Amino acid sequence: MVKLLLVSLLIVLLVSCSKRRTVEGQPVRILWTRDPESLDPLVTPNQSAIDANNLLHLCLLSVDYSTKRYAPALADSLPKVQFAGDSLTLVTYHLRPTATWDGGRPVLARDVAFTLKLMQVPGLPNEANKAQFGFIRDIRFDPTDPRRFTLVCNGQAPGLVQESGDFLILPEAALDPKGSLRPYQLGALNDRAATAPADSILVKLARRYARANLALYPGRIPGSGPYQLVRWDKDHLLRFQRKPHWWADALRPAPPVLEAQPSELDFVIIPNEASAALALRRGSVNVYPQVPVREFRRLQASAAARQQLAFYTSLSYDLVYAGFNTRRPALSNRLTRQALGFLFDPKALLLATQAGLGQCTVGLVHPTDTRNYADSLPPLALDPARAVALLRQAGWHRESTASDTFWTRQLAPKTPPQRLTLLVRYRAGETAFETIGLQFRAAAARLGIAVELRPTENASFSSALQAGDFDVYLRLLKGNPFYFNFAPILHSKTVGAGNLTGFGTPASDRLIEAIPLANTLDSRARLLRKFQRLMREEMPLVPLFFRPNCLAADRRLVHLYPGGLKPGYAAAAIKWTTPVVAVP
Amino acid sequence: MKASAPIGIARARGGRALALGWLAAVAALAALGPLLPLAYAPAQPDLAHLATPPLAAGSAHWLGTDPSGRDVLAEMIFGARTAVGISLGAAVLATALGALLGGAAGFWRNHGWRVPWPAWAAALGAGWWALALPGAPAALVGAGLGLAGTLLGGPRWGRRWPVPLDAGVLGATALLGAVPRLVLVVALAGTLPLTPGGLLAVLVLTAWPGPARLVRAAMLRVTAQPFVAAARALGLPAGRVWWRQALPHACLPLRTAFPLSLASLLALESTLSFLGIGLPPEVPSWGHLLGTARTEPTAWWLVAAPGGALLFTILALQYLGRARGPGPAK
Repeated sequence: MVKLLLVSLLIVLLVSCSKRRTVEGQPVRILWTRDPESLDPLVTPNQSAIDANNLLHLCLLSVDYSTKRYAPALADSLPKVQFAGDSLTLVTYHLRPTATWDGGRPVLARDVAFTLKLMQVPGLPNEANKAQFGFIRDIRFDPTDPRRFTLVCNGQAPGLVQESGDFLILPEAALDPKGSLRPYQLGALNDRAATAPADSILVKLARRYARANLALYPGRIPGSGPYQLVRWDKDHLLRFQRKPHWWADALRPAPPVLEAQPSELDFVIIPNEASAALALRRGSVNVYPQVPVREFRRLQASAAARQQLAFYTSLSYDLVYAGFNTRRPALSNRLTRQALGFLFDPKALLLATQAGLGQCTVGLVHPTDTRNYADSLPPLALDPARAVALLRQAGWHRESTASDTFWTRQLAPKTPPQRLTLLVRYRAGETAFETIGLQFRAAAARLGIAVELRPTENASFSSALQAGDFDVYLRLLKGNPFYFNFAPILHSKTVGAGNLTGFGTPASDRLIEAIPLANTLDSRARLLRKFQRLMREEMPLVPLFFRPNCLAADRRLVHLYPGGLKPGYAAAAIKWTTPVVAVP
Repeated sequence: MKASAPIGIARARGGRALALGWLAAVAALAALGPLLPLAYAPAQPDLAHLATPPLAAGSAHWLGTDPSGRDVLAEMIFGARTAVGISLGAAVLATALGALLGGAAGFWRNHGWRVPWPAWAAALGAGWWALALPGAPAALVGAGLGLAGTLLGGPRWGRRWPVPLDAGVLGATALLGAVPRLVLVVALAGTLPLTPGGLLAVLVLTAWPGPARLVRAAMLRVTAQPFVAAARALGLPAGRVWWRQALPHACLPLRTAFPLSLASLLALESTLSFLGIGLPPEVPSWGHLLGTARTEPTAWWLVAAPGGALLFTILALQYLGRARGPGPAK
């Protein structure tokens, strides 16, 4: 009897000592289709890089996915806003007193100033930040409180306040321990000409930053975010572990934007959609964001998958569009561009490629934004007859030989006639773009316009677009509901950088500059509607449709906050529901 | 044992007829494709019918459609044109190039062909210019002068220097053979534009070493034959002996190798299209059609039609190649 008791006790002891894992303790495995490539907070080449950086560092304000509004993150409350004169806005923030970097050093206004200045330092890969945050002209410190500061911003636009807090704050002590940037005024750095003579201090700082190689070793600087990167197998896996003592744990109640539920977040990189769906069904990944619609439908149709998975759909802010190279003589004429725009069939393409889940659009503004969306414009539709009329109006003539039909135009007397042929580029391996390309090509072929489709490998695609080696390109434009800054993609100053079409007229430039500076929502709406009408007239881009955001996740996961905002879920808020499961 | 021999011969003949019949059917489809009354043109998406199975209700696509809405039947028929045009063209060109280079290497070896120094200068200048090295225009002028000197100078130039043809051809075949063909083609396809002409050039560039090695080996045997020695003894020019007497005999093994080379090129072209690095999407291709099944794994018709056509064509070519060469099929 005693022996039996002892054996039973031993068994109980062994079982209790055996490896037990609660579902809550299990990592959440999220699928990414691309490696982030760089984890430098100043360079975010893709959405994966943005998502990863948001786990390591924090902004002053972050989007609360439950309310779809900006909420304070490093700031302790929403900023106080004051208008100065008719062109400046003063935005005053106060940082959370508990906010610290890894190691316990407090996050101070000095760090914010350093980050803003770093985004303007020449020689760093900060072009995108420079353009986006150039409207912040100065930072004023509060001498009585090292955590309080005021940002002096150009303009009085409604979205400016949120934008002023939407950048990752970096630690000054780690990147500039001697405070060499402190004597520089933010406005002076902003206005510094590209041709200005090199400043040795700035050059040294840029070199130091480059040496840190944060793109590959983000852990070399402390972060204020809840996670740290513990593993990065290129093109395979990124593992983030929750910090055991994160400063926001002390906040009661914890604000939703500072939630960090999973103890470990694994981002598994699987570019192939069929393999990704298989991994989801096997349980190797728990969250599959931006599921291609066809795969999403297939999963939904499977009874076994329905038992295991939950499905979410929403309208994303990803716009599928075609862009014309307006620097090409054949496409420099807006009538020609308009004609070619009538060779796309957005409605049929939306139905075919997105199973009708997205939404067609007349312009770059989201159709759900009823205030700003130009609903007076007719939706673009396939209209070959109108295309022919416009081509003739643009000076093109249809010619036929025994075996061929083509369009030509005489640009100048005594010059050989110009022939209308188009090279269409898109990222290789994207079935939706291939379908769009084939539809456009078939419609153009019926009129006698030769179109060559050139699917281009991911790495060469961007460089080909930058080099202007295309006539038409098909791409995705990622947007959000908060800002309307079209300068990076359509202003004449950004030709050769983000403006791939090469488009830009004085009228469009003025309008693009005026939109972010509009003082009221109504005046901004008027400008935005005017902008959409102008774009329809000039047609450097053909907006086709907004894609749906399809998300499939393990049924036991909650607090995903699926939505149209990138990345379409809140990674740090995700929780397992099932209380305890023993894993032998 | 005696009774089984006629059965074997009959089977071989039957197999040969079957293989020839299949290849004739593919060639006929390729030739007559544009004349056939097809309901849909190739590369024309039907956006109302994406990935539709064959003979689906309300659809006129007999063999179904791919995930972009292209008609599988039209893609199959016009894909046969691509297969025949590109693979056959590449096989013919690669075989001809290989035969010429291998034949020349086996006939003249390293010392048999001697050229005057202006010809060397011309070759050096042309090579310099082709590689776009610094001073390329001057090199081109030098090449032109060298060529003119060679043509006009004739025997005036005195000493002639040997061209190491055999070493050059063997070195090139070894270099190309050292890298797997698919890897080499993928690397080249990344630098050249993906047009049918570009793909043809890439396939020829990587496929000529096989025929070259075969013809070189045969040429070494042929040059030892009495009839070649007799032709030389008669005082016929070396070039004429090579072209009229030796090369036709040295090329005999190509009759066996050609169908096999064609089969491997067809497989290679289809593999490239399957991987999405071959022909552009508007050019119909069996490999590309097969590749679309990756995005629609349940669409069996996207595997069955192009996969079957590829399988039977490659098997037929291999059968014909083996039937001509040594082995049981003969």
